Amino acid sequence: MTLLGWLRQSALAGLGAAVALVLALTAALEGSVSDDLVAQQRQREAVLLTQAIAASLAGADAAAARERLRRWQGGSPAVASVRVVVGRELLASTVADDAAPRALRREEKPLFDLATLLRSAAETNRSEGAVRKKTLQIDEPRGAAPVVTVPLGVDGRFEGIVQARIRPQSGAAVSGGGWGLRLAVLALALVLGAALPLRPGARVDLGRVAALLALALLAIGFQQHRLAQQGASREASEQSMLAVQQRAAVLYAHSGAPALDAAAASPWDTDAYGRPLRHMSVGGRPLVHAEAAKDLPTRFLERSLWLVDALGLAVLLFFTQGFAARTAHALREHASAYAYVAPAMVGMLVLVFFPFFYGIGLSFTDTTLFNEALPLRERWIGLDNFVAILGDFNLVSRGAEGSVWNYQNFYWTLMVTVIWTISNVTVGVSVGFVLALALNTEGLRGKAVYRVLLILPWAIPNYITALVWRGMFHPQFGVINQMLQMAGFKPVAWFDGVVSAFMTGLVTNGWLSFPFMMVVILGALQSIPKDMYEAAEVEGATRWQQLRGITLPLLRPTLVPAVVLSVVWTFNMFNIIFLVSGGEPGGANEILITKAYKIAFEQYQYAYAAAYSTVIFIILLVYGYFQTRVTRATESY
Amino acid sequence: MAAERKRHHLWIHLGLASFTLLSIYPVLWVLALAFSGQQSVGIIDLPADPSFFERLRAVLPWPAHVSVKNFVDVMTEQPFGRWLLNSVLVSLLTTALGVFLACTAAYAFSRFRFPGRDGGMLAFLVSQMFPGTLMLIPLFIIIVKWLGLGNTYWGLVIVYATTAIPFCVWMLKGYFDTIPIDIEESARIDGASPQTIFVRIILPLAKPAIAITALFSFMTAWNEFILASVFLEAESMYTAPVGLRFFVGGFSSQWGFFAAGSVIVSLPVVILFLYLQKYLVSGLTAGSVK
Repeated sequence: MTLLGWLRQSALAGLGAAVALVLALTAALEGSVSDDLVAQQRQREAVLLTQAIAASLAGADAAAARERLRRWQGGSPAVASVRVVVGRELLASTVADDAAPRALRREEKPLFDLATLLRSAAETNRSEGAVRKKTLQIDEPRGAAPVVTVPLGVDGRFEGIVQARIRPQSGAAVSGGGWGLRLAVLALALVLGAALPLRPGARVDLGRVAALLALALLAIGFQQHRLAQQGASREASEQSMLAVQQRAAVLYAHSGAPALDAAAASPWDTDAYGRPLRHMSVGGRPLVHAEAAKDLPTRFLERSLWLVDALGLAVLLFFTQGFAARTAHALREHASAYAYVAPAMVGMLVLVFFPFFYGIGLSFTDTTLFNEALPLRERWIGLDNFVAILGDFNLVSRGAEGSVWNYQNFYWTLMVTVIWTISNVTVGVSVGFVLALALNTEGLRGKAVYRVLLILPWAIPNYITALVWRGMFHPQFGVINQMLQMAGFKPVAWFDGVVSAFMTGLVTNGWLSFPFMMVVILGALQSIPKDMYEAAEVEGATRWQQLRGITLPLLRPTLVPAVVLSVVWTFNMFNIIFLVSGGEPGGANEILITKAYKIAFEQYQYAYAAAYSTVIFIILLVYGYFQTRVTRATESY
Repeated sequence: MAAERKRHHLWIHLGLASFTLLSIYPVLWVLALAFSGQQSVGIIDLPADPSFFERLRAVLPWPAHVSVKNFVDVMTEQPFGRWLLNSVLVSLLTTALGVFLACTAAYAFSRFRFPGRDGGMLAFLVSQMFPGTLMLIPLFIIIVKWLGLGNTYWGLVIVYATTAIPFCVWMLKGYFDTIPIDIEESARIDGASPQTIFVRIILPLAKPAIAITALFSFMTAWNEFILASVFLEAESMYTAPVGLRFFVGGFSSQWGFFAAGSVIVSLPVVILFLYLQKYLVSGLTAGSVK
């Protein structure tokens, strides 16, 4: 038996590939989650210590603060340096030769700015009665100890800030290693796979079922083992947090600050918003069960491992059910065909299909310019964007001067877009139709000249057209206002009113789009046989009757696709709105796609804009669906 | 009868002529600004309280002094020459890449029967329905943030070329289908390799279709504005459309430069368009008129 034949008739390739994939993906996920956990642990320690120091300093004057800081530094090797800023003054500092208290220097302005930022965050939170803004800041310079800044306050009042550099203490709680086990699992999978024969041609047989079971056992067993390891290391890091808390409590008591209830939840062990986690007491006793203390990354890991298993299963089936062999065979058989298609296909996959699905995926997150670097699981918000877009019916806002339209609302923009599309297509079709009828007059001289001149607006790049009309609509020097004044009217501030700004777009786009309609209709008119009109005339039909009875029905097959096309074009006519009125006034004339653009590139809310675009896509899909049904109905008619 | 018909024609001429004048007015307006030698958005400078005739003069599309100063200045004093060069390079590279990708893929779709052929062609068709803005944000992230191709020719070129592929592939495939397969078979009997057949026989035969494809790719790149304005930040890398907007967008109002630049950019496109319009129209109506 050849090697290839043996590969095909055993589960070796399938089980091997599936298990290797599961192991590799598990390792990658685990690695990223462990890194996160280590960073979290480091930050949590630093925050805890800094909060404890800040608590001990509350209400102390400069001398007392200096004394307490000295004790902290003497008692804990973790505290590298501390600075206390109140107002414009550096109240105390542990930096050697720094004669605090003194006024802040010019180059210390960032410290003052940070204090202002935290103060406003704290005040926002207090006035809103909710914790929306982060009241502490963690900076982690690459390769250096984290620097934590927390507010200093008495009874929740903001006094100043305490900034501490904390050296990481507890060892990294990484559950690394396990490479021996990985190798063993892979070897086991290969041996099992080699031992399991597959009957060629069968869909289900003993070998296939056994391979499936083997994969399930190996994958899930291995992952559970790794999760247990991770649980153990989480336990260890929680223990070390308890130790840190105990030490901080001792030092706090020692510093001379007012005593705390040792059984109460630690107010120092907080998240990034300054909210206590309530995992342990001031005295360093655990308050929650380890299971409940599971953090976000761990939960994410548990959930995504199932996805990894599903992928592994897919790979196994791909091999055992013969798809792999068939694919390999097709690739070999049609090698040159695939070689010809590959460059274009790769380009399309990377730059058309991937971006499309990436965009849809993006719409389920809250990605903006500012949080792009965060891991995906922290940005995932499910359908919130769509709820925010479609669920906001706040079309009219009531202010002091009565009710006003809310131009930022999705349904307003949708309404404008629909009106925009309908009015433009109507203008385009009717102008085009009249011109085509005129140009179709028999024996008319100079037809070719008219045609070429009338087609010009179509030939000019539309962004240029848009900018030209923007210039002609110029409120002060534009020719259109000059013409109005010649006729005795008052000049119009075109871009200041909702209706007038809409008209600028309509005129521009009408100018741009009538030639297409004219040319299409003219082509169709010329293909209508002349004898039909002659026969109608003999029968005594009037011109109007000829138009209704002959021209319009015979135009329909041409007109329907042209209108369908032009609806989609107008719906997506970005350049005209964007360049002529820019959606003025106040975004009232924005259509859906210019709105999506502005959300993305002027407000930098990428995910919200992606959701907006997805909604546009769905609207177009629905339109396309109904339009094909309607078109089919008219064709059968 | 003849007299009535003549009168009828007179009315039609009157209507058509006035509408034509109206419709080419913006074109004349741009030409007047381009040759005016000054930057303001008005064709002539008006006094504070203009009379009817002064206003009429301001509306007539004829500059106060005919001058080519705007054309000279926009090419020498302004970086427009550079932008034009950028546009030419991007468009040519797009054309080359797009035609290469489309020819090979279309040839395979036309001549080979292989698993995934129908799926692939359908995928090309479906991709035409993806809305531009939905693609814009991911493309921005991929090209600018991940690949770092923000201020480069290649960032635009690969996106333009792939955008043009589906249309070009369908168009070329249709043409390849009409080339008799006998020619290839006799070449094969004479011992020609598939590559030789493709390069030496098919491509020369498909010249007209390839020309149209090339033109389409070129126009796609030449007239594109949104992607270019998102991808390009450095002023020296602007393409002509982004540059033209730069003259009159925001708070700048160099209408003379804009008008001169617009004429330079549009002229080749308009000439090509008018030359090709009869093919375009027959293509558009061929499918629908039975």
